[in-house]
Amino acid sequence: MKPILRQTLPLTALIAATAISIAPSARAEVPATCVKGVDLATLGPKSIVGQGPHGEKAASPEVLALSDADAAKIKEKHFKVGISMQTVNLDWAQLQIQGITDTLKKYGVTVTGVASAEYQVDKQIADIENTIQQHPDGIISIPVDFTATAPTYKKIAKAGIKLVLMDSIPTGLKHPEEYASMISADSQGNGQIAAQILASCMPQGGTIGLVNFGVDYFSTNERTKGVREWMQKNRPDIKMKQVDFTDPPKVSQIAGDFLTGNPDIKGLFAVWDQPALDTLSSMRAQGIDIPVTTVDLGLQSAIEIAKGGPLKATGSQRPYDQGVAEAMAMMNALLGKETPGWIGVQSLPVTQSNVLESYKTVFKKEPPPELTDACNKAKPACN
Amino acid sequence: MTELTAPNVVASSTRTDRRRKLLQNMLRGERPYMLYIAFVVLLVVFSLSSPWFLSLDNFLNIGRQTTLVSIIAVGMTFVIIARQIDLSVASTLALSGMAAALAMSQISNSWIVGAIAGLGTGALVGLLNGILTTQLSIPSFLVTLGSLSMARGLAMMVTNTKPVIITNETYFAIFGEGTFLGIPVPIAWTLVAMIVGILLLHYNVFGRRIYAVGGNPTAALYSGINTKWVTTAAFVLTGALAGLAALVLSARSHAARPDVVQGMELDVIAAVILGGCSLFGGRGYILGTLFGSLIIGTLNNGLVLLGVSSPMQLVIKGAIIVAAVAFTKR
Repeated sequence: MKPILRQTLPLTALIAATAISIAPSARAEVPATCVKGVDLATLGPKSIVGQGPHGEKAASPEVLALSDADAAKIKEKHFKVGISMQTVNLDWAQLQIQGITDTLKKYGVTVTGVASAEYQVDKQIADIENTIQQHPDGIISIPVDFTATAPTYKKIAKAGIKLVLMDSIPTGLKHPEEYASMISADSQGNGQIAAQILASCMPQGGTIGLVNFGVDYFSTNERTKGVREWMQKNRPDIKMKQVDFTDPPKVSQIAGDFLTGNPDIKGLFAVWDQPALDTLSSMRAQGIDIPVTTVDLGLQSAIEIAKGGPLKATGSQRPYDQGVAEAMAMMNALLGKETPGWIGVQSLPVTQSNVLESYKTVFKKEPPPELTDACNKAKPACN
Repeated sequence: MTELTAPNVVASSTRTDRRRKLLQNMLRGERPYMLYIAFVVLLVVFSLSSPWFLSLDNFLNIGRQTTLVSIIAVGMTFVIIARQIDLSVASTLALSGMAAALAMSQISNSWIVGAIAGLGTGALVGLLNGILTTQLSIPSFLVTLGSLSMARGLAMMVTNTKPVIITNETYFAIFGEGTFLGIPVPIAWTLVAMIVGILLLHYNVFGRRIYAVGGNPTAALYSGINTKWVTTAAFVLTGALAGLAALVLSARSHAARPDVVQGMELDVIAAVILGGCSLFGGRGYILGTLFGSLIIGTLNNGLVLLGVSSPMQLVIKGAIIVAAVAFTKR
C-alpha cells in the first residue's frame, strides 16, 4: 500500500486547481427597451406567415366546422381513432392529446390508444403497424422522422385508414390520397415573435446566438428561419451565430460551451422551451445573464418568464387548439369530405405582462399555484 | 500504482526500483499513467486549438458538465470491480429526482426531505438490483436491464410524465447553484463522492473484499467473505450515488423530469472502463474513473468550442475513446 498522499496527488491537484472563486462572466447591459419597447397588441404576425412543407398556403381551422347533420352521422358510425406520438413527455404532446380526445369524445368517437415512440424511428414504425392491426377508422400521428417512417405511413392509406398528421409530412406522401391533412402551428410566425422581442433587448451591432435543432425537421427549421429572416429584414445590424444540437439531453453542455467560446453573444434564441430551460441552467452555473427567447410554453418556462429573469418571451403554439383542429380534420375525412393539405394555427406571443392569461389560453385551465406565486412575487410587471 | 489492482502485491523494496518500475509501466502504456498523459495531451491540443479553452471558467464548465457521470461512475467502479454491471443508473437518477421533487412538493418543502427521498430512492433501487442479482443468481446485466425499464416507467407514471417544479432556494444552493470554498457545489459533490470512493475502495476492508469478489469469487467465498452482501452493497452505493446525481441535476434545472439523461449509463460505463476498470472484474481505480470521465467531458467541451458539427463530434469522440482505450490497455 503506498502513502495516501501519492495516490491522491492528482486529485489534490484537481481540487487545488478548482478551489478559486470565480466572478460572473461579464455581459453587456440590456437596453431599457427590452420587452417594454414592444407593443403586445401589434406583436407577431396577424395571419399565418409560413408555408406548408409543399409550399401550400395555410387554411384556417374554421373551415373544419361540422354541421348538426354531420355531427349526427359521426355519432351513428361509432368511429375509432388511434394516436401515435413522438413522445408523451412534453406539455405540448399532452395538450395535443387532450385536445384530440376531448373533441372526439364530444362526437362519440373512441380513441383506441396513444402510442409514444420516445423519438425512436423503429418504435414508431412498430407502433403504427400495431395500430393498423387494431383496424381503426383513422390514425392521428406526428412523425419522428419523415424519411424512415414514410413507407410505414403509406401502409395506413393502403389499409383503408384515414391519416391526419401533426407538424410535418413524411417524404413522398400525397394529399389527399395518403393523408387527409397536416395541422401545425405557424412555426415561422413563432420564430418572428421570438426574434422581435429578442431584438428589443439587443444593443446596436450586437451578436445573438441561435441554439438550433440540428436534425432536418420542418417545424424547427421554420422557427429558426423565422428568426433569421426577421433579423435580416428588421435588424440587419445584429450578427447571428448558431450552434446545433442533435441530442436534446446534451443541450445544457453544448449551450454552455457555445457561450464560453463566443463571449460576444448578448442574447439567445433557443428553438423550443426545454432547450431554453437547459440553456438557462448553464447560464446560471456560469453567472451569465443575457436575454433569451424561445418557442412553446410549458409550466416551467411560464414560471421563468413570470419571474422576470433571463427568459423574456416565447412565441407559443396552441397545442390544445391544434389537437381540436386535428380531431375536426379527422372527422371531416371520415365523412369523406375534402380537407385542406395544411391547416395553420395562429401564434401567441407570451411575455411577463400576459403570462397568466396566456397560460389559460394555451392550457385551457387556471394557472397552478407555482406560476401564480412566481407572478405575485414579480408584481406589477407580471400579470 | 499497480498494487491498486491487487491489494496483496508486495511493494518494491527500494526507491530506485520503484522509479524504474514506474518508468517501465509508463513505457508499456500501463494505466493509470497513460490515462493522465492522454488527459494532458487533450488539454494541450484543445488549448492550442481554441483561445477559449484554457481558462478557469471553462475548466469549471467541464467540471460541472461531467458531474453527473463522475458521481455515478464512482459507484459503477465498485460494481464493475465486483464483476457486475448496472445498466439502470440513468433511470434510477430520473426516478430519484422525481421522488425528491415530489417529496418537497407533497410532504414538506424542505431540502432535507428532498435529499432523503432522492438518496433513499436511489439506494432502494440499488438494493433491489443487488438482492435480485445475488439471491436469485440472475445475471446483473439482465436484472438491471429490467430495472432500467421499470425505474424509468415509474418515474413517468408518478406524474403522468409531467415535470415537477422545485421552488426551494436552499435546495438549489446546496446541490446545484451555490459554491463551497469557492468551488461550485456540483463539483464539490463530485469531489466528496470521489474521496468517499477512494477511502472505501483503497483504504478499507470493504474495498479489499470488492477486489477479492471480482478477482476470484470462489476464492473469496472460501476465504469467508460474504460475497452476496459485498456485491449487494456495491449496487446500493451506486444507487445512492445516482440519487445524489439526481439532487444535483434537479437543483440545477429547478425541476425534476422523468425523461432526463436517457442513455447516460453508457457514458458512465465508458468513463469507468476508460479509467482502467476491467469489465471482467477485479481491477479498477476511483481516480482512473475520474480522469476517464474528465477525458469524455473535455472532448465534449473542446469539440463544441472548436465549432465542430454535431455529427462529426460523435465520430471524433468515438474514435478518440477507442484509441485511448487501445493505447492505455495492458
